Amino acid sequence: MAAPESQNLATPSALRNAFGSVLSVLILVLIGVLAFSIRLFSVIKYESVIHEFDPYFNYRVTQFLSKNGIYEFWNWFDDRTWYPLGRVIGGTVYPGLTLTAGTIWWVVNSLNIPLSVETVCVFTAPVFSAFASWATYLLTKEVKGSGAGLAAAALLAMVPSYISRSVAGSYDNEAVAIFALIFTFYLYIKTLNTGSLFYATLNALAYFYMVCSWGGYTFIINLIPMHVLMCIVTGRYSPRLYIAYAPFVVLGTLLAALVPVVGFNAVLTSEHFASFLVFIIIHVVALVYYIKGNLSPKMFKVAVTLVVSIGLVVCFIVVAVLVALVASSPTKGWSGRSLSLLDPTYASKYIPIIASVSEHQPPTWPSYFMDINVLAFLVPAGIVACFSPLSDASSFVILYIVMSVYFSGVMVRLMLVFAPAACIMSGIALSQAFDVFTGSIKYQLGGSSKSKDDAEDNTSTNNAPKDDASTGKTDKVEEIAKERSSKKGKKKEREPAEKPSIRSKIAKKKALVLPLEASIVALLLLIMLGAFYVIHCVWAAAEAYSAPSIVLTSQNRDGLHVFDDFRESYAWLSHNTDVDDKVASWWDYGYQTTAMANRTVIVDNNTWNNTHIATVGTAMSSPEKAAWEIFNSLDVKYVLVVFGGLIGYPSDDINKFLWMVRIGGGEFSHIKEADYLRDGQYRIDSEATPTMLNCLMYKLSYYRFVETDGKGYDRVRRTEIGKKNFKLTHFDEVFTSHHWMVRIYKLKPQKNRIRGRVKKLKSKTSSGSFTKTEKKNPWI
Amino acid sequence: MAINKKLLSLLFLLAAVLSSSAIAASFSDSDSDSDLINELVSLRSSSESGVIRLDDHGISKFLTSASTPRPYSMLVFFDATQLHSKSELRLQELRREFGIVSASFLANNNGSAGTKLFFTEIEFSKCQSSFQLFGVNALPHIRLVSPTIKNLRDESGQMDQSDFSRLAESMAEFVEQRTKLTVGPIQRPPLLSKGQISILISLIVIATPFVIKRILKGETLLHDRRLWLSGAIFIYFFSVAGTMHNIIRKMPMFLQDRNDPNKLVFFYQGSGMQLGAEGFAVGFLYTVVGLLLAFVTNVLVRVKNLNAQRLVMLLALFVSFWAVKKVVYLDNWKTGYGIHPYWPSSWR
Repeated sequence: MAAPESQNLATPSALRNAFGSVLSVLILVLIGVLAFSIRLFSVIKYESVIHEFDPYFNYRVTQFLSKNGIYEFWNWFDDRTWYPLGRVIGGTVYPGLTLTAGTIWWVVNSLNIPLSVETVCVFTAPVFSAFASWATYLLTKEVKGSGAGLAAAALLAMVPSYISRSVAGSYDNEAVAIFALIFTFYLYIKTLNTGSLFYATLNALAYFYMVCSWGGYTFIINLIPMHVLMCIVTGRYSPRLYIAYAPFVVLGTLLAALVPVVGFNAVLTSEHFASFLVFIIIHVVALVYYIKGNLSPKMFKVAVTLVVSIGLVVCFIVVAVLVALVASSPTKGWSGRSLSLLDPTYASKYIPIIASVSEHQPPTWPSYFMDINVLAFLVPAGIVACFSPLSDASSFVILYIVMSVYFSGVMVRLMLVFAPAACIMSGIALSQAFDVFTGSIKYQLGGSSKSKDDAEDNTSTNNAPKDDASTGKTDKVEEIAKERSSKKGKKKEREPAEKPSIRSKIAKKKALVLPLEASIVALLLLIMLGAFYVIHCVWAAAEAYSAPSIVLTSQNRDGLHVFDDFRESYAWLSHNTDVDDKVASWWDYGYQTTAMANRTVIVDNNTWNNTHIATVGTAMSSPEKAAWEIFNSLDVKYVLVVFGGLIGYPSDDINKFLWMVRIGGGEFSHIKEADYLRDGQYRIDSEATPTMLNCLMYKLSYYRFVETDGKGYDRVRRTEIGKKNFKLTHFDEVFTSHHWMVRIYKLKPQKNRIRGRVKKLKSKTSSGSFTKTEKKNPWI
Repeated sequence: MAINKKLLSLLFLLAAVLSSSAIAASFSDSDSDSDLINELVSLRSSSESGVIRLDDHGISKFLTSASTPRPYSMLVFFDATQLHSKSELRLQELRREFGIVSASFLANNNGSAGTKLFFTEIEFSKCQSSFQLFGVNALPHIRLVSPTIKNLRDESGQMDQSDFSRLAESMAEFVEQRTKLTVGPIQRPPLLSKGQISILISLIVIATPFVIKRILKGETLLHDRRLWLSGAIFIYFFSVAGTMHNIIRKMPMFLQDRNDPNKLVFFYQGSGMQLGAEGFAVGFLYTVVGLLLAFVTNVLVRVKNLNAQRLVMLLALFVSFWAVKKVVYLDNWKTGYGIHPYWPSSWR
């Protein structure tokens, strides 16, 4: 921290700085503990399990990695999913998360600490949240000093938006990616402040880690060039900027291309072109500055015209090439998601599948209050603070928050990228406010002696409840002074300049005071605001974001009910079926089935093959016989449906059924959505259409349902079902879980009378109907 | 028997005469049909983007008096110049999109398929009787008259609100669904014509050296920090107010109360949706607290007069406190969450 300065300052202040350093390390450790422990609600309230859907896939990949090693993992072709196609896992995943958890597991085990892979996976996200808050400290410290850094770190440790993606058990890419994002930004700013090639290299490596972890790396590769361009345009070009940017682009792009899932996209898609364009521009600008430094002003004017014109020609050629490249690709080189960021109405117009995902909806104002809470109030103050004075680092943070707040306004999912920026800004604002208010109080209470002023600086760090905000405020101001001339090699120049600056600062501070009582009130209000934030975050972590969705609970008059049907049925599958049996279900449950039951599935959550999904959708929407034929042709032995009608679990297959019809109908035209709707309404009661009442999904969901209460009352749809007593002809019920949430059916074996049946068909010579049914099945 | 035979032959004769006359009739029909088509094609080629402007006479000629089944479908756009000023009807926009569909259809269907569908428009002030003929009394209205329709009041060919919600794309889908013809990819005219683009590029090329010179000297608007500051704050306000949500969902600024039409509803209960005014109000509350804090810590500190400081600061504190309280209240009301702290159980 402030160690280098302390050597040259007088002893009391050296002691103070040393004390400050120790204290801030202590605070940082506590922040880490806070970040880790606030995410443990899911383990305490439920148990140590992996959550939801995608994390199960990541967990399974990690298991494979820890069992078979890195090379096997890299070349892994998975035949237990997307049967009969399979999936190349090694080349289609972002490996960062898996490799991280695998490494942690390996290290821990080689230290003879016997943790299971699952435990490591469950706690990866909380551990990395602690890392992320430390990275936030580093980043904010580079911008506005360690006081702001500590405040920002504390805020980030419990910001609800980030908690939602990183509770214990939420083993997903974002868990490590947010840390990587912040750390990359920190290293960029560090390079910018120091001009050190060492940090520039580290920056490229951090970027590589980010590319490995999450598709959101495109945010970095666009934000940093934008900042560089902004610096150039506003006349802030410096050799440090060049060192921060040029190695980053070259190394970063080369490293990014190493990740199989990115590969040549790193140079071929439009998301990356901004960085290359800026790369050219910065070279032109660097050349101009170099020539300017070497020539007399007069000669420079001549040279400038020369260089500018040549540079422009080169630029235009390159731009033309880029434009041609972009124009030659169908989507103009932009992926649909990126386009919907630039033109928010794009997705709703052209890509309904992107627009339909709830994560991609634009947020309303309560989302901001839920996800960043009171930080929304503090951010503007932080922005203003960053403008006074404006440095390279603070301009970067401003750009970061402006871009991310805009993107979060388009897609609620990107709130996750916005949250760190909001924490940094709020940390800066809080720190500045505490600085001013405590300073005013101190000055008026403690008289005007300089020594007292110094001593109180220390005491204030101890007493305030939000002490982390005010701890390093002395460092902070020094830091700002430092930033102006901060270059690693210029330490000597800086030191003499420092003493007068501190003195003038103290003199200035005396002039800059606010009324005592008003300051106290303001301080109290700020502390109240912080307390409210803490309450909200703890509540959000405990109530809103901790449900693992694999185990459900409900609280009613009789007490707590636990619904553990999913694991019950996956366990049934793994114990009662053959290892090579194929299980068909809607894609939502694909990852879980492969990971928990270890059975081959037809489709899973990696929705890469629409036709395959449509085939399953078609089978689910077909009558029993046709469905049996489709499933049989896919070697399916068991069909799994999720049914919530008995206990009122709303996200069951009947509620998702229209999507199956739509997706199925998109590929196989004999499935028509209108056949399943009565006057445009989706219903399953006696008014439902015959197609609906005869389709496989209806039958598998409601088979024997009437036996439960005698009426067949569906508690999700709040109605009695339309067709109550029916028998299954082609399927056998083999398992129904405790609360009927999961029902598993086995395909009946083909009948022995098959030969007779064929004969009968032949004699009928009604080949038309026969081929028709065959045609419906795309797998024959 | 003889009588029977005679009768039979007579019957045959009758049948032959009848059939031949029918054939002749159909021949003459196809003749007039091709005439009609030729006339329509020539009309189409002379009109902008292939949308034929019909009047009462044209309607009767091509629709009412032409015998069914007509050899073509006709898509009729009902326009009214006097209603162009009413922006909520979006007549001009729809008319433009209609033209785009028509032009795309023409560009993608050169052969015989091109004569199976004609895009026409009729204007209210010139052909009121046709409007009555179609029974149209509300706009926007687009009607597909398929070949078999005899009674023009038959509204089966009417394009629903949902069919032009996505403008040209959904219109084309509607047409494809109903007529079994393919419209093909929608070809929108480029935003700028080629001449405009070349002028723009040359302007940019000429201006670049000057701009670069200004930038090197550091005296553009871009060097004004206040501009950047206000821009940043504005984007922040714009986003946290959920304006993107309002734009994408086309939310109105406020609603009318269903029970009491004189009352306006500014706040919508339920977290999935928000109204325009509501978003701006809360966005303003979000922003104003931070700006007041920044004002106090950056500007007010420098004020020398202690009483002025005190007054302004207390005012700022009061406003901030009220704003935060208001937002918390509104959020609890809108989302229905009960946010509560967790106290140690021994404290209860």
